[in-house]
Amino acid sequence: MNGVFSLFVPGDSVFHRLGAGWKFLLMAVATFIGLGAQNVFVSSGLLALALAGSACCGVPVSRAWRLPWGLWLTAALLLGYQALLGKPLTGVVIAANLVMAIYAARILTMTTPGSALVDALVRGLGWLRAFGLDPERIGLAVALMVRSLPVLLDSFNQVRDAARARGRERSYFALVTPVVVRAVGYAQATGQALAARGLGDKGQL
Amino acid sequence: MIEFQQVTVTVSLPQAGRAAVARTLLAGLDLSLDEDRVAVIGANGSGKSTLLRLLNGLVLPSSGRVLVDGLDTAAQARQVRSRVGFVFTDPLAQLLMGTPLDDVELSLRHLVPGKAARRARALELLAGRGLEGLAQQSVYDLSGGERQLVSLTSVLAAGPELVVADEPTTLLDLRNRNDVADALWAMPQRLVIATHDLELAARAERVLVVHAGRIVADGGPERSIEHYRTLMTGGGRP
Repeated sequence: MNGVFSLFVPGDSVFHRLGAGWKFLLMAVATFIGLGAQNVFVSSGLLALALAGSACCGVPVSRAWRLPWGLWLTAALLLGYQALLGKPLTGVVIAANLVMAIYAARILTMTTPGSALVDALVRGLGWLRAFGLDPERIGLAVALMVRSLPVLLDSFNQVRDAARARGRERSYFALVTPVVVRAVGYAQATGQALAARGLGDKGQL
Repeated sequence: MIEFQQVTVTVSLPQAGRAAVARTLLAGLDLSLDEDRVAVIGANGSGKSTLLRLLNGLVLPSSGRVLVDGLDTAAQARQVRSRVGFVFTDPLAQLLMGTPLDDVELSLRHLVPGKAARRARALELLAGRGLEGLAQQSVYDLSGGERQLVSLTSVLAAGPELVVADEPTTLLDLRNRNDVADALWAMPQRLVIATHDLELAARAERVLVVHAGRIVADGGPERSIEHYRTLMTGGGRP
């Protein structure tokens, strides 16, 4: 299951050894610089760095660089739209920033165990307690989101194959409806699994 | 001791363009269970899963009460859930984290303070089931049996006194089925298991047969399983 955000891959790369908090910080800094600079050279340079970083995660480059086709399509549409408006360089900046942010996030999720992600979020969001929010719950929610993305993408692929088998691959209704129903079912199952372990009860994670 | 006191579970099923229809999943259940190994058998849709889900408050009675060691599953849900571990049919629905190690650590999160101690304990628990080599693998790369054993490890990590397992071997091949069944029977905790596997049910001290939301047989495995066979082959009706 290779989705937008890959799940943790064990290894000993420089990113595996780097603390989750530092990786969060690097990801955020790169994204904010790209968004703030709005410069084609800056965005391209950051994308090159993110690609180089992905190649150093201890997984084969073919896997580290592979993204779902839908994401490439989105980037191409954004670029094309800006080109139509007569601003191709802005299109390059937007598309490069999008792809760079995805690769930066993947470096984080590929090289950080889920429990370390939760710990880092709980530490980093501790200040939210002052506003009555529970960082433990937010950390768990983010970890569950990362864990759920491959499931949802796999669900989409299964539904697409089933639609193809019946010659209905061009019917968006036939594609979207079962994916939404499965997503709701998955959310309910996850909620039950959390409840069954007593997670989410007040006072427990 | 588990007690069902006049428990009825009714759900409302929405109908397209019409008023919702009430359907009774379990009716007038009055039961005490104090055996260590209890099996629940019955046809699909008979009410087995609903009966099991009542035990840790995943389903609440529409009327009546369910008590686990004196705790009401509706009024004292949190305490009940800390005592009752639940193993689902599909382990992928149960595993909340991406790797076995992370998943077991999640169960230990409020029990073992300190990241390093938690990780060491999680590894120890996985090693106890011979799963240490899989600790950091993606849960998607594990076989069905391995996933179910990881699920069981995660459930037991939380220290339950009672384990409820809803058809835990249904999706498994024979070898994995045997591994999971042996693991369930070897644990010191009390077990209530729903299953279609009559060989597995025969290992229990007490077997309940659920049919159309009612307990139609309750006793030793031989008598109950015979009743179920007769029921399923059309030789008798409750």
